[in-house]
Amino acid sequence: MGNKKFLARLAKELPDWAARGWVKAGAERVILDHVAAQGNGIPLLTYAFSILGVLLFGSGIITYFAANWGEIPKLIKLAILFGSLWLAYGAAWHALRNRHAPLLGQSLLLLGAILFGANIMLIAQVYHIDSHFPNGVLLWSVGALVGAYLVRSQPMLVAAIALGWLWTTLEFDHFSVRHYAHWPFLVLWAAFLPLIYWHRFRAALHLALVALLWWSLNAFGVDGLFWNTGSKTYLVQIYFLAYLAVYLLGMLFATFDRLADFARTVQRYGIFAALVSAYALTSPHIQSGQWGHMWGEKTLREVAGSADMVSTFVALALVAALALWHRNRTGGGARPAYLMWGEVLIGAIALLMLANLFLGGVSGGWVAIAFNLLFFAGMLWLLYAGMHTDDRFLVNLAFVFFGLTLLTRYFDTFWTLLNRSYFFMVGGLLLIAGGYVLERKRRQITAGIGARRKEGAP
Amino acid sequence: MNLGLRIVIVIALQTAALLVMVGMKQYTLSTGTPVVLKTEPIDPRSLFRGDYVRLNYAISRLQIDKLAGDREFERGDTIYVLLRQEAEFWQAVSVHHAPPPAVEKQIAIKGRVEYINQQSFPGQGAPAEPIKTINVKYGVENYFVPEGEGRVLERPKPGETVSIRLVVDRNGNTAIKAVLVNGVERYVERLF
Repeated sequence: MGNKKFLARLAKELPDWAARGWVKAGAERVILDHVAAQGNGIPLLTYAFSILGVLLFGSGIITYFAANWGEIPKLIKLAILFGSLWLAYGAAWHALRNRHAPLLGQSLLLLGAILFGANIMLIAQVYHIDSHFPNGVLLWSVGALVGAYLVRSQPMLVAAIALGWLWTTLEFDHFSVRHYAHWPFLVLWAAFLPLIYWHRFRAALHLALVALLWWSLNAFGVDGLFWNTGSKTYLVQIYFLAYLAVYLLGMLFATFDRLADFARTVQRYGIFAALVSAYALTSPHIQSGQWGHMWGEKTLREVAGSADMVSTFVALALVAALALWHRNRTGGGARPAYLMWGEVLIGAIALLMLANLFLGGVSGGWVAIAFNLLFFAGMLWLLYAGMHTDDRFLVNLAFVFFGLTLLTRYFDTFWTLLNRSYFFMVGGLLLIAGGYVLERKRRQITAGIGARRKEGAP
Repeated sequence: MNLGLRIVIVIALQTAALLVMVGMKQYTLSTGTPVVLKTEPIDPRSLFRGDYVRLNYAISRLQIDKLAGDREFERGDTIYVLLRQEAEFWQAVSVHHAPPPAVEKQIAIKGRVEYINQQSFPGQGAPAEPIKTINVKYGVENYFVPEGEGRVLERPKPGETVSIRLVVDRNGNTAIKAVLVNGVERYVERLF
């Protein structure tokens, strides 16, 4: 919330609070003056310009020296590289001390981190080093991370996460020679977390979650883990369970005071990724294995191999453990009904996934119908959960996936059954009418959430 | 701990990391044994870092059944190639997983197995032969040159041969010391 809006809201609420005795009489003015003196928070435009300026300046330095590199003696080159690094950090210190230019200071810290990376590349050039190049990116990321810890800088941490992401992508794309996932990334990723936790770095949390989901696609998709073990359908089931575990972790965070700030962000990334996986599982083609030409499988998928079974059991155990932990944390008072229904849903999904391990592509059609039923039940649950927790994101997500899946089922069911012209006419009408109804309902619900928030309902 | 001290520690740690990079190469350059390798410069590219020549050494592709030492390697393995001087150039003698014992007038160079070919294709439509070769990267395959000079090395004049003088330290690490054209130094790397 911007400071002006917050001030207006506070000015509106304070007389009522004073009347109820929550605020001492006469303290309203002091509170309002104090909040007004805080200014408008972070001026985003100034911050954005500082960061962009730093990025442009850093790029300019690198390209200037690269173009004139041959004419400069080696010792001078090293002096320029080290000098520019020290200068950037020195300027950052100057801007940050006494807090007289904190935004510029943070931008200069970022410049220091960029120059550290530029120096790695240019020293590699000076000495003609041509080794395992992702190591240079890793060194860069670790250097930025150490800096972020020492000076408590979110821009440096964001840079470290982005570089860590680049590192794992390079390792996977260029050096995944032994068919295993790039597990060392998890060590680096875990090192980002304490700083995010201690200083409530939200931008860094978002980027860290995106990087983790990206990595998981590589980690799960790597051939060696599931080599020749039947269908990729089981792999998608494991994807779903892992992302569901992330969502449950977010729900658990909400029950801890120190972690509650991060709960919604973690839940949202987890549920989005879980829904993408669940959407894939509703496809009759995937369940029967008839996308063989695309997935490199036989026409009908086989039952699960031992690696898939073990991985599914482990993922299910993780989901069950998190659900039970959450039940334990929220079991004190009257438990909302949606939580109980959520557990029932998880149980039903677990049973279906377990059964699916032993069913081949012959039963794919029936399995797909069961997954569709559970998927739509899941959307209703999500809608209910979103309304209960006043989370518009969940409501919107439920509507989007509800509509998308409905449309997909229409396409893959009636494409072969209807004459093409009828197919498009009926489909068009369904889209117009369905879109109108869904959007109207969605607006009603989200407006209700907005109204409850304004009224300050719990 | 105050801000100034924390920034000083950041500077010290990052500078130390860069100095380690510099120091390792300087150590190899100042203590290593010179070795001249036959090479064919290929594919110079102009990146924003400037021109560089991609170097393809005679020992970059090793026919395993013609060499002594270990037989089985996988992609990504560290490999030690024992070199012996034969007339002007140094040639591979054997390949090993671990550093081989020091032998007079021979030196081990450390690399990484890039990929393994189980068959060799002689070309001109001839069928593939079951010859196992391994491609090795030694970390000295790039040589940065002043902008615009990459092509000179890429396309030597008729009769010109390009070779590289490396230095190899006692751990098998390498650094480029000089680029030679017809045995004469064209570019020389000095300590500073």
